Amino acid sequence: MKTNIFAFILSIVVCVSAHAELKWDQTMVELHPATADKQAIGHFKYQNTGSKPVRFKSVRTSCGCTAAQSQKEEVPPGEKGEITATFNIGERTGTQVKTVTVETDDPEHVTTVLTLKAVIPQQLEITPTFVFWGQGEAPKPKTIVVRAAKEFPVKHLKVTSSSPDFQTKVEENGNGQFKIDVEPKDTSRQIASTLTIQPEDSQKIFYATARITNAPAIQ
Amino acid sequence: MVKSSLVRQALILAALALVPGFGEAIYFRDKISWQSPIPASEIVTAAQARAWGGSAIWVDARPDAEFASDHVPGAVSLNEDRWNELLPQLLAVWSPEKKVVVYCSSLSCNASREVARRLRKEAQLPNVFVLKGGWEEWLKSKK
Amino acid sequence: MKFVWRIVDLVVGGIFIYAGAIKALDPAQFANDIDNYKILPWTIGVGLAFYLPWLEMLCGLALIFRLFYRGAFAILTALISIFLVATIAAKLRGLDITCGCFGHASQHWNFSAHLAVDFAILAALLALWLSTRAVPARGSDR
Repeated sequence: MKTNIFAFILSIVVCVSAHAELKWDQTMVELHPATADKQAIGHFKYQNTGSKPVRFKSVRTSCGCTAAQSQKEEVPPGEKGEITATFNIGERTGTQVKTVTVETDDPEHVTTVLTLKAVIPQQLEITPTFVFWGQGEAPKPKTIVVRAAKEFPVKHLKVTSSSPDFQTKVEENGNGQFKIDVEPKDTSRQIASTLTIQPEDSQKIFYATARITNAPAIQ
Repeated sequence: MVKSSLVRQALILAALALVPGFGEAIYFRDKISWQSPIPASEIVTAAQARAWGGSAIWVDARPDAEFASDHVPGAVSLNEDRWNELLPQLLAVWSPEKKVVVYCSSLSCNASREVARRLRKEAQLPNVFVLKGGWEEWLKSKK
Repeated sequence: MKFVWRIVDLVVGGIFIYAGAIKALDPAQFANDIDNYKILPWTIGVGLAFYLPWLEMLCGLALIFRLFYRGAFAILTALISIFLVATIAAKLRGLDITCGCFGHASQHWNFSAHLAVDFAILAALLALWLSTRAVPARGSDR
């Protein structure tokens, strides 16, 4: 068992020391965009440390939300450059991992995967974002729990309902925790409301939906 | 001599650990698929989904441009670029007995899993499935 | 002096019980974490996800209660060494590994912190081994 582990480690060391002609500064970039940012941009710098020019055959992204551009198609020996990956955050949340697959004519490293990891700050965690009653169900209030992330202290929440048919009441539990009680006036019609949830002193708006669905709700 | 008692003890421990390990595998058998990273209970084939007929709501997780060019008839667009704007449209046609089938372009894209995950976690909808093979598979199943 | 080693036993055993318990609570997540290393096929990863946490907890208990001590010690040392090699290999391959020994709870640690903690555990285990070699087999070490 000892010799196997030694061989394993040796093989890793050997692999790494036989280095590529197109050398990347990093193949993984982690970004921490701010709450208001619409895009997260990663710069993947490279240099041709070999003696022959290297040509980019293709630069593909893992999803339509990321665009990748290389500054040049052919890289002469010794030249540096970078591939810029622009990730459109949209309304995504949490940690997003997107990859850019680069194909070159470097026979030792035909394909390189560049990874862009964007940690999107989530100011509020809203559970659930959807409350509903079946038609005819008793119009009892349902609760939405809102938790503010530790890095974003929130003292007060402003909640408005787009429809007067739904009433909301906010309860502050301290420590960034809130409860929103939603109550429909009646459940005989299929009405809906978009609840706008806004932390005090913040530009960002969050949403939840309340509606009466067209079948009895499962108990 | 030290070596053999060490090996014997290690083997006994290794064997003993199999018991709770096995028990857990049985307990969690529905939550994890031995074949693929996505729980079997959350994936559906095109054939199965079609068989659901009107009780299925199709959700297209692809970007707007792809949805506009073609999509499953009657599908609702819901992607992460415009989540807040598009979600209410899905909720408007949803009711508790419906089955939500989310698809993106193919077997390898991630968007459908992400959208399905958010629907289960944030909107807490039950019965949310990912279409195996995505839009590619749907096109094949039409023939 | 014996007392000090006994404390190390308890701490290391405790760490493995804690690490095992966290992983046993969410085998689906652990299976995904194993899959991230891209070393083993998915199916084997699932098997390990169900099995390894219990092995860890059992060996942790064995260290604490000094039952099957040598066997437990050997298994834990092997586990953490394989784990360290796999983590370093993943890093060299450019894979994104944000969690390790401690399951998803440690996902906010960075690579160096992880490596440091794992090396410390390995060092503690090796120190324990040297301490038992120096002293002849103790009474309850069956």
